[in-house]
Amino acid sequence: MKRLLRFLFIAIVLFWTFLPIYLMLKVSFSPAEEIMSQNPPLLIHSVTLDHWKDVFQSGNLWQPLTKSLTVAFSVMILALLIAAPAAYALSRISYRLAIGIILFIFFARMLPDVQMAMPVSVYFIRLGLLDANLGLILAHLIRVLPIVTWILLSVFKTIPIDIEEQAEIDGAGRFQIIKRIALPLAMPGIIVSAIFAFLFSWDEFIYAMYLCLGNKTLPLMVYYYVNRAGWFGAATFSTIIAIPVLIVTLLLQRYLKADYLAGAVKG
Amino acid sequence: MQNKWIKLKKDSWKFFFLLPLLLYLAIFTLVPVIRSILMSFEGGNNYAWLFSHFRFRESLVNTILITIFALLFEFLFALAIALFISGGGRRRIIQALILIPLGIPTIVVASNMRYLFDTNGFINTILTRLGVVGIPIDWLGGGALTLFSVVISDMWKVTPLMMLILLAGIERIPKELFEAAAIDGVGFWQRLRYIILPLLKPFITMALIIRGIDTFRIFELPLALAGESFPVLSSFAFFEYRNYNNPHTAAAASTVLFVLILIAIFIYLKLVGLPNEETT
Repeated sequence: MKRLLRFLFIAIVLFWTFLPIYLMLKVSFSPAEEIMSQNPPLLIHSVTLDHWKDVFQSGNLWQPLTKSLTVAFSVMILALLIAAPAAYALSRISYRLAIGIILFIFFARMLPDVQMAMPVSVYFIRLGLLDANLGLILAHLIRVLPIVTWILLSVFKTIPIDIEEQAEIDGAGRFQIIKRIALPLAMPGIIVSAIFAFLFSWDEFIYAMYLCLGNKTLPLMVYYYVNRAGWFGAATFSTIIAIPVLIVTLLLQRYLKADYLAGAVKG
Repeated sequence: MQNKWIKLKKDSWKFFFLLPLLLYLAIFTLVPVIRSILMSFEGGNNYAWLFSHFRFRESLVNTILITIFALLFEFLFALAIALFISGGGRRRIIQALILIPLGIPTIVVASNMRYLFDTNGFINTILTRLGVVGIPIDWLGGGALTLFSVVISDMWKVTPLMMLILLAGIERIPKELFEAAAIDGVGFWQRLRYIILPLLKPFITMALIIRGIDTFRIFELPLALAGESFPVLSSFAFFEYRNYNNPHTAAAASTVLFVLILIAIFIYLKLVGLPNEETT
């Protein structure tokens, strides 16, 4: 009885989880006349590759795809270059000194994006950074840096300070310690943070809305089609954005911690 | 004295390591926040205008209603999932599948939910086929039905996150407590009321406030589902800036949101405490 109840409940939860994803894939493979009817069927009746051919042939894909990729890769690299040293230093300062900075990063994660995005977009119009990749990279870092610093701080905290002190007594300089001890031990955590940084930029929407008028990113393409009731364009572009994120999410199960994701996953 | 100087010199690398991050946060976070607060006081009495403007009041009410309903349903649903999957078989694979929505970008969630809630979407199809409704329901035209659609969409995306927090709490409850309760023949509801919920309380507080701050900031879902017919604080600020070219009222609206979030953060720090050495 208890097992049956559990089975039923989990079945319902999984149905609820997969229904929207199923619909996205189904719409992207369904003929137009089937979906645009009054009562579109729920099951798959016939399959067509038309919408996928459209996406690849229309010339609407490459510009947003390269923009999203360029921005996400740059954000990933810059985020590591800025956040990793800072997180390492923070983890090696006494808690009483660090708490001010930690609190500020904590606040920064909770701030409303629209509040920063508007003045930033006003500045960027003046600087000619609107629609430029550089502008969007700088803006995405506003959102990505606090989260990545937070994750890396918890990574560096797990490296025992005793090992470093021992190395120091043995005459190793700070850069030797970082190169030989801290970096190798933190490497898995650093790679995970890099992936998160990439993904947070890859699916970012609000700053892109404020900063892109002509050169759209992939998430903006989805919005573009949603706004024009372009069901098939929305479905194909949605699938293109979601698939890499989905694969990575499944691979990174162990690292999907509430503490890492708070403030990064929202409606 | 000399020792202190040597120590300071030895630790100076920490300062240079922190500098880029602090500079970045100062220029791209602190300055814009201050700038938008200052802007909200320029160009007339924007706050008086906002609070007399029905569309702003509507977006404030919508934001608060979404927060109340989303938190309530997400909490109950997340608690049920966490209770059902903890301590059962095939835990890992089930959890992996349930966490999938966390990996779906929010704008994609919005697009997918339109297939369900659109006038000729799949929910209306089912309702028509079952003969429940004659005329398709206009889910996304604004009002209570749109509130429902947005809450359901938000639930789909973030219930797994709340579930993760609650699951972490449930897993910290000592197994002996349940064993003792089982020996005493305590039923499920009593176990929930007298063991699980009291011990989960700090996790519940944390989950509700962190999620509450996220729902205050909700943007993509109401924007892509219903646009201007269902404004929330964030999307109102966006429309004021982009559609009506009014950065000052946009700044004022986002400052109202900022104040709400500030209050929530203070409640969090009061109830949960500073991020301490254990949690950071």
